Amino acid sequence: MTRATVVGAGMTEFGQHDRPLTELFADAAIPALADAGVGTDEIDALYFGNAMGGQTETDTHLAPAIGTHLGLGGVPCQRFEDACATSSTAFKQAVEAVEAGVHDTVLVGGVERCTPATGLDTAAMTEVFASATHRQYEQPTGLTFPGVFALFTKRHMHEYGTTEEQLAAVAVKNHRHGKANPYAHFGKDVTVEEVLEGPTVADPFRLLDCCPFSDGASAVVVTNPERAETVAGEPVAVAGVGHRTGTVPLAEKESLTATRPAREAATEAYDQAGVDPDAIDLAEVHDCFTGAEVLATEALGLIEDGRGGPAAAAGRTERGGEIPVNPSGGLKAKGHPIGATGTGQIAELTEQLRGAAGDRQVENATRGVAHNLGGDAATTVVTVMEAVA
Amino acid sequence: MSEREPPITYADWRQALEDDALLGLECRCGAVTATPKRACPACGSRELAARELPTTGTVDSETTIAVPPAGHDSGTVAVVDLGPARLLGRIDGAVEIGDRVVFAGARTADGEPAPVFEPEEN
Repeated sequence: MTRATVVGAGMTEFGQHDRPLTELFADAAIPALADAGVGTDEIDALYFGNAMGGQTETDTHLAPAIGTHLGLGGVPCQRFEDACATSSTAFKQAVEAVEAGVHDTVLVGGVERCTPATGLDTAAMTEVFASATHRQYEQPTGLTFPGVFALFTKRHMHEYGTTEEQLAAVAVKNHRHGKANPYAHFGKDVTVEEVLEGPTVADPFRLLDCCPFSDGASAVVVTNPERAETVAGEPVAVAGVGHRTGTVPLAEKESLTATRPAREAATEAYDQAGVDPDAIDLAEVHDCFTGAEVLATEALGLIEDGRGGPAAAAGRTERGGEIPVNPSGGLKAKGHPIGATGTGQIAELTEQLRGAAGDRQVENATRGVAHNLGGDAATTVVTVMEAVA
Repeated sequence: MSEREPPITYADWRQALEDDALLGLECRCGAVTATPKRACPACGSRELAARELPTTGTVDSETTIAVPPAGHDSGTVAVVDLGPARLLGRIDGAVEIGDRVVFAGARTADGEPAPVFEPEEN
C-alpha cells in the first residue's frame, strides 16, 4: 500500500563545497521543487536534517534560516538530528505526517559539510564524528567510527570467515558504480590490490574501505497520492518505512554482527509494503565502511547471513548482478555528507524507479530499498519504494 | 510519586574505575549490565542492584585505531566479555579475538577515564 508519494528529488554533487549551509541546501531543494512542479507556496512544512552544524561551523537553529532562504513563509520548519540517519528520520516523519493528513506536501532533506572546507582537519573532524559514540562509556577509549565498524567487521570475519579481499571487493564495486554517477564524490577504477595496499585507518579497514568526508545536500518532495496526481513530477510510491533503535554502548548489543535494528526495521518496512526481500530489485545501503555493506545486505535479507563478503566478491551485488547494491556508488564513492545521506538515498531510488538514472540505471527496477543507519547502527531506517504503474 | 534512587550513577562507576574496580548492575531478571542505567536493558525493570564485575574476560572483538580523534593516541580497543556482561575498553598490549585479558585500571585521555585491559599472563 502506498503510504505517501515522492514527486520530486534534487541533489547537489557530493564532494567539496565552500559555501554556507543555507545556500548549499537551496541547491538541492530548488531542483527538488522544480522536479516536482511544486511552488514554495504549496509546501506545508520543512523537515530538515543537519547533524553536526553546531560543532563544525557554529551554526544551529538552522530550520528558520533555511525556510527564510527558500521563501517558505511561516510554515513550520524543523530540524532533525540522528547522526548519519538524520534525514531518514526526517523523511519518516514527513511520510507519517502526510499519511495522517497533518500536511499535504512536505519538503524533506538534509545538508552537511565535513571536508576541510569547514576549516577542520582529519583529527578534528574524526573527533566531531566520534561525538556520536557514547559520551561516557565509549569516547574516553578513543573509539572512532572506523573503529566501531571495525569491531563489528572483525567479529564477522571471525564468525563467518569473511576476508579482507572480500571487503575490498565492496570498495572496488562501489567505486566502479560511482563512475556512472554525476553526483558522486568519487568514481574510479580501483583494484582489490590497491585497496589492500592502502594505509590502515582501523584494522581491517584501509583508506579505501572507508567513505570520504563529503559536503553536500539532498531534498525530496513528499505528498499524498491524490495530490501526486495533480503535480507535474513523476510519482514514486513510498510503500514502507521501518525505524528501529538498538542498544548503546555497542558492547551491550546482543550481537556485534546482526545489526538487529536493521533487521527489525527491514521486517517492518517489508510488511508494510507486503513484500519479501526477494521482491527487491535494487538496494541503496549504508556502506560507511565496506564491512557495513556486508552487514547491511545480510540484515536486509538480500544475502544469506555470513555470505555478504563472498556475495560481493562474486559480483552478486553488482549493477547487473543478482541484487544490485549501491548502484549510486553508495557512501563509499557517492560520498557521505552526514545529514544529506538519507534523503540522498531516497533521491537515488526515485531516479532509479522512474527509469531516469542514466548510465547507472538498474534494468527493470520496479521496487527498491534504502537502508540508512545512524551511529553504531543503533538508529536504522529502512524504506521500500515502488514505481507507480 | 516516589521513585527509588538509582543504585549507581556515572559518578559511582567512574569512582570505582579510578579505584581499580568494575562496577555494574544486576536486575532481578538476572541480566547484568556493565554501565549504569535507570532500567534493565533486558526487561525494563528498575529493580536493579549494584554489583562488582569480574576483572578477567575474553576478547569478543578488537581493532587497532590508527587514525585517532583529536585528544587521543592511536591504539587498540576491544569489546571484552566479562562473563555476565560486556564492556568496551582500551587494550595495553596486543590481543586477538578469543584471548583472555585482565582489567588493569583506568586510562584518562581528554579528561574522562576508560577501562584498560591487558593480556592475561599464562
